[in-house]
Amino acid sequence: MIENDIFKALADPTRRAIFEKLATGSMNASALRQGMEISQSAMSQHLSVLRNARLVCEERQGRFVNYEVNPEGLALIAGWLAKYRAYWPARVDTLKALLKDMDQ
Amino acid sequence: MNDMQTEGQMKDLVLEYELDAPPEKVWRAISIPAFREKWLPQGALADAEPVSSTPDEEIRYRMRDEEPPFLESTVTFRLRPNAVGGTVLGIIHVLEDARLERHAQTAANDGWPYLMRAA
Repeated sequence: MIENDIFKALADPTRRAIFEKLATGSMNASALRQGMEISQSAMSQHLSVLRNARLVCEERQGRFVNYEVNPEGLALIAGWLAKYRAYWPARVDTLKALLKDMDQ
Repeated sequence: MNDMQTEGQMKDLVLEYELDAPPEKVWRAISIPAFREKWLPQGALADAEPVSSTPDEEIRYRMRDEEPPFLESTVTFRLRPNAVGGTVLGIIHVLEDARLERHAQTAANDGWPYLMRAA
């Protein structure tokens, strides 16, 4: 289930940092590692988790691989919309009950 | 009490609800923290202080998801009187997370059909 994968992938602070870095533009793994205390193999592992969650995709350019935020990470937006479509009617029901209890 | 949903933009939720209470009363329920907390808990908000407010008409809060990826958004509550002494409550909830700006650009070009299916 992709939504779960997304949450798991981003629950890790390092992966969240990687994802946020990529959100500013595509880059390769060594550029990604700059400023982060992380080994090459750990970086590959994190990238692979992000890729499996379809948050990040890779783009081969000759010998180099660039990573970028997966445009189909739209799953994220769809998940957000679905969540709040269910959220607001429930909140408004509670608001209606509160209004009944409040003094004029 | 008819609740209806109007079609929003890509990252917007636009909802409308009819409430029996008059706008001044609804205003108190959405703007006074002790009342607001009872139906919209602090945990859902990025900041308990509203971004902006116009008494009896409109109030806006920043929100943040309580779970990863902690997406940030802005919700606007808009009040107007209806014909029978009650209130039409508009909820405009917009996903405004900086990390998604790039997505939005892509989506405006070619992501729309995908989202329609996914949502």
